[in-house]
Amino acid sequence: MVLRTRAAPPTVSALRQHKRPRNMGPPFLLMVPSLLLLVAIIFIPSLFALYISFTRLNQYTIAHWLNAPFVGLKNYIDGLNPSGPLGGTLLHSIRASLLFSLLTTLFITPLGVGAALLLNGSLRGQRLLRAIVLLPYIIPTFVNALVWRLIFLPHGVATRVLSALGLSTPDSYWLIGGKSFWAMIIADVWAAWPFIYLMTLAALQTISHELYDAAAIDGASGPRAFFSITLPLIWPTLSLALLLSTINHLNNFTLPFVMFGTNPPDPVNVLPLNVYIHSFVIFNFGLGAAMAVVMLIVMLLPAVLYIRATRLGEEGLA
Amino acid sequence: MNARSAVQTRPATATSQAQASLSASVRTIGRYVLALVYVGFVLAPLLYMLSVALHDAATAGAGPILPHPVHWQTFREMWSTIPLLTYIKNSLLIAICAGAIAAILGMGCGYVVGRFRFRFREPFRIALLATYLTPGVLVLLPLYVIYVVIQRTLHVTLIGGYGIVIITYLTFALPFAIWMSSVYIASLPAELEEAALVDGATRLQALRYVVLPLALPGLVVAFIFSFLHAWNDVLFASVLTSPATRTLAVGLQYYAAQNYAFPLWNQLMGASLVSAIPAVVLFFFVQRYIVQGLAAGSLKG
Repeated sequence: MVLRTRAAPPTVSALRQHKRPRNMGPPFLLMVPSLLLLVAIIFIPSLFALYISFTRLNQYTIAHWLNAPFVGLKNYIDGLNPSGPLGGTLLHSIRASLLFSLLTTLFITPLGVGAALLLNGSLRGQRLLRAIVLLPYIIPTFVNALVWRLIFLPHGVATRVLSALGLSTPDSYWLIGGKSFWAMIIADVWAAWPFIYLMTLAALQTISHELYDAAAIDGASGPRAFFSITLPLIWPTLSLALLLSTINHLNNFTLPFVMFGTNPPDPVNVLPLNVYIHSFVIFNFGLGAAMAVVMLIVMLLPAVLYIRATRLGEEGLA
Repeated sequence: MNARSAVQTRPATATSQAQASLSASVRTIGRYVLALVYVGFVLAPLLYMLSVALHDAATAGAGPILPHPVHWQTFREMWSTIPLLTYIKNSLLIAICAGAIAAILGMGCGYVVGRFRFRFREPFRIALLATYLTPGVLVLLPLYVIYVVIQRTLHVTLIGGYGIVIITYLTFALPFAIWMSSVYIASLPAELEEAALVDGATRLQALRYVVLPLALPGLVVAFIFSFLHAWNDVLFASVLTSPATRTLAVGLQYYAAQNYAFPLWNQLMGASLVSAIPAVVLFFFVQRYIVQGLAAGSLKG
């Protein structure tokens, strides 16, 4: 902590300067292996991806990849143009991804905050409850996807339960057509809400009880106390969790891929899945790269907000 | 405090006390009911998974919800339908190597970033976060093209080997491990290593005998998170593994995709349960670090 303190009083830092052995700059050598690797496997490839997005690089031209035809913005235009040869597939995917990500985050927020408020108090068997509700978040996403694919099979358990309740017809399909979007949302809500719960609970545990006692004396309790004490205090963490959740959902490839495969219904053809299909099923690397760059642009706003929030939080503590 | 004790000592009538305790117990019951709803919501799909695993192949997924009779043989049969044991070995090998490399390299880098202030520290930290947020496909696509080009130019085989999968996992694991260990090391007191340096230890000795033992938990946490990422990943492994090096996640995904209409659901669910076990066990070890890792900035300290 000592060396990190930024604005230490001059006397203290002078003392430290004195105590610290001379000629002891940061041992940058320790960073070298990591830096070299990061440059080789992330930095250079990212720039290369940008270059690929301007070329017609595919399974045929890759043999002479240096001479892959430079096509400018054609890949971007092909993806985005609704009347183009691809029918604006990229545009559809942006819409699907944004809807998926925002709706999921919207649904998991009350679920997660509710559970955190519930389990922050003292309930009997609390340790067990806290462990159980984390399970959906812990099990691997591919397992989650397989389970929900099974549940939503034609004549599967979801259809049978819903039709027994009179909410659906016995021969409704969840894995194709418009309902597939909701199947994916339900599977993801189930898996993702404990993340919001986990973050909110951590924030709640830093709030002192005396605040609520004081508020109770002033006549504030229940919802009033929640909105005027709890929410403002957990907001820095909660907003960070919401941003991260939005980003994670935009990035979620495994769930749609394992649930629907590489020939997915349109409503679930989200950005990462569409990029994957064009890159590794159709092997049109140029178009895939263009889509991936667009995906990065879509994620830029939440990502910048997240980085700012993370750093602001640090400044606040320093 | 005065106001508080005044409230507590205020004389209350018997009825208002009874009302208060009644509403308190109603609220407690309400909270238990709500907790039960949450537990039901969480456990229903998991129990269904277990139930399907205990069906025989004919009734799994389509027949009655509860197995009758219980078909324990699923957990024996599933090892021969697909090369499950090979998949598990591959997953373990790849995840352990990726986790170990990331944790060790990340600790060295994280020590510098966590302990010192230097000119490019902030841009570097922002770059780490940005890397963590970068879509996996954006990194995988150019890497794949690069691997293919190297293969063609040098006439070697890269794709399908363990090494290339492990290296590719480092694109996620290394930035994460650096971040994790830098946050962890920043939370340790610097006085001890300073004292060691003042007492004449070299930087390397101070690192080896003072910093490393203290930072070991951070190293382990970085390893476990990297391990779990590799264990759970489908994206990279589905492109970069061959049938011989296929990981468990991709093995199950591939089996399910090949038999899209009629996979043996009972065995698939049995194998899924098995593949979830390491994730669940390891997670509870690192549970208290996850908030630190994901929201390092706002919650540190």
